[in-house]
Amino acid sequence: MLQRKRWIFAMLAILPTLAIFAWVRLYPIADTLRLSLQKWDMLSKNKPFVGLANFRELMGDHLFQDALVNTTIIAFGVLIITIPTALVLAALIYHRTRSRFAGFYETAVFIPYVVSLVPAAMAWKWIFDAKLGPLNVLLSMFGIAPQAWLFNPVLSVVCIIVLCSWQALGYAVLIYIVGFKSLPVSLFEAAKLDGASGPQSFWYVSVPMLKPITLYVSVVTLISGFNVYAQAFVLASDAQGAPGRQVRVLVLDMLENSFRNYRVGYAASEAVVLLAIVLVLTLIQFSLLREKGRS
Amino acid sequence: MISTQRLEDRTVSTRSLARAALIGTALGAGLFGSLSAAGAQTITVWSGYPEMAPFYEHVAQGLKATHPGLNVKVEAIALREHEKRIALGLTSGEAGATVIELSGSTVRRYLENDLLPSAPADVSAFVKDPKNFDSFFTNDASKDGVVYGMPLFRGQASLFYNTDMFAKAGLTHPPKTMDEYTDYAAKLTLRDATGHPTVSGWSLRLSGGGQGIAEKFWTILFEYGGSVLEPAANGKWKANYANEAGRKTLKQYLDNVYTRKTVTVEMPADAEAFERGQTAMFIRESWVISDIAAKAPDLKYATAPLPIGSIGLPTNLYVKGEGKDAKAAWDYVMATNSPENLVWLLDKVGWLPNRGGVDYSAVTKAQPAFASFVDYPQGYKFFTLPSIAPIDEIMTRLAAQLAAAYSNPALAGNDAAIDAFLKSAADETNTILSREGLLAD
Repeated sequence: MLQRKRWIFAMLAILPTLAIFAWVRLYPIADTLRLSLQKWDMLSKNKPFVGLANFRELMGDHLFQDALVNTTIIAFGVLIITIPTALVLAALIYHRTRSRFAGFYETAVFIPYVVSLVPAAMAWKWIFDAKLGPLNVLLSMFGIAPQAWLFNPVLSVVCIIVLCSWQALGYAVLIYIVGFKSLPVSLFEAAKLDGASGPQSFWYVSVPMLKPITLYVSVVTLISGFNVYAQAFVLASDAQGAPGRQVRVLVLDMLENSFRNYRVGYAASEAVVLLAIVLVLTLIQFSLLREKGRS
Repeated sequence: MISTQRLEDRTVSTRSLARAALIGTALGAGLFGSLSAAGAQTITVWSGYPEMAPFYEHVAQGLKATHPGLNVKVEAIALREHEKRIALGLTSGEAGATVIELSGSTVRRYLENDLLPSAPADVSAFVKDPKNFDSFFTNDASKDGVVYGMPLFRGQASLFYNTDMFAKAGLTHPPKTMDEYTDYAAKLTLRDATGHPTVSGWSLRLSGGGQGIAEKFWTILFEYGGSVLEPAANGKWKANYANEAGRKTLKQYLDNVYTRKTVTVEMPADAEAFERGQTAMFIRESWVISDIAAKAPDLKYATAPLPIGSIGLPTNLYVKGEGKDAKAAWDYVMATNSPENLVWLLDKVGWLPNRGGVDYSAVTKAQPAFASFVDYPQGYKFFTLPSIAPIDEIMTRLAAQLAAAYSNPALAGNDAAIDAFLKSAADETNTILSREGLLAD
């Protein structure tokens, strides 16, 4: 009887939280799924059911395909740059913990993560400027011809990868430092006794031990990479028609379809595709972590 | 040491005080709020042109005498964000009355879904009066003969050219044909020792988001006798640029970028570049005149009409709201069209007012650059974006296609590739029209 009362109390206590979670998290997802099967222009009261027509159209839409390819390249590009760089930086900062500059190192790396995105992107836009940007000036010192960073179809994607990596690095380093601090010191001492050098300890002890952290940071970085939008928007925008090349990414394409083309159902089908991608990545993370737990 | 009982007593009395203070504050705030509401009325103006904000504030100032309690909140943001705001704001419902600035082509969807009310009788009569507006503007602000908006200003393009640069290049008059545009651009381009252009001869819109690229393309296409969309019977349309006019237009862009290299995609462009002397000429709307007056008053320049005609893109004011608030908003809208305010608009902002029968000569005499916008040649033609629901999608998708074409050097000088590109883009346009039931046979 007491058990049952406790169970009812626990359920009642958790119910408001569950209700809020269902309202702000589950309902929008369910509604997006429903919208993806309808044709709706946002203004009309009618939302006719169109089945999978939106998804079929997506398959032949070159703008969506461009957006999907660009977004995937950006997400994996950011991942490839961020993870190894963050790991190395975190190791360097961790092994300088006793230095009086330790706080400065951590802050310097973390600041880009907390800086507001728009001014940061504007600063990078100036750095990448083909005519006035310091990057081209630097390259010219090495005899490299100036590049149209924000206009070349390949380089403009590279610019977004650089900007996103610069921002993502701070968070990844922070998590890795926490990971380093949780590693048992005895392992490093044992490795030292066995004659392992610093880089060897890093490669053979730290990297394998930090695998769960790496998995977590990887998935978080990858998911945020798939949600890239503001970086692409700011790098291509300007007040008076002298902007950069618009790198089409999924979120931007969705916004365009929703608010410019008034095709909310179609944009919802894009959102469902993005959701599926993110879901698959999350499932991969869970399966890998579970395997690690079992081993 | 304080006993437990005393501590509890003190806590209870503190709580009571806090509660009383809270209730008092809430009641006071409510009373104050209702008193203020009784005396003041607030309307919000949504604009997609930040440079229009001073105009709307100027109109509000002028209304103070007749509407002392009217508070006008002007919210002017970039056009693309403004369009998103309207799409969300009108469907989710806005408190109070909102004056909304929209082009006649974009507003169509909202009117078809009854999201904007028709204009009151006095406004309707004013808009329908031919002494005030040409039928082109009246029709643009109406649907099925019912007036919904108040015509305010229009986007109309002319050539802006730097007279100093023209003189240095030995050019005595502005280009009169599209072939001359390219020839002039070649003569006006300044290059460094390696041959790279440092000052573009003719600044073209080659990049960026939104539909601006397609609108600029249409302007030049129009000079060759083409159009992005062609009307047919029964309100149907079809793409009209996969043809000779389209080929000539795209060839001209590619010829300037890749063959003659009078401009490159990464060069500074548009009004800013013109004001800084980084381009010799470009095609733009009249607002640039006021922009130059503010940012580069010493610039030596002139304007000229385009060879055949120009885009004429009217922007109107609509009201969303009910009752007294809506009445105040329509009063405000009427005030925007007073002769004094329209002259102020032309003088200080530079957008061309649509109302006729107003004496703008004080401004046009003081700023001769307006002449090409007002005193255009006999037979000068105009086109506008069709008022059909998918127009924004058509233009935005065409813009994305054109941006890709402009960055593809393989298309330059290759007529077959240009034709294939234009056919593919036109097919996409026709597919959108077909999906919406608007494709002509």
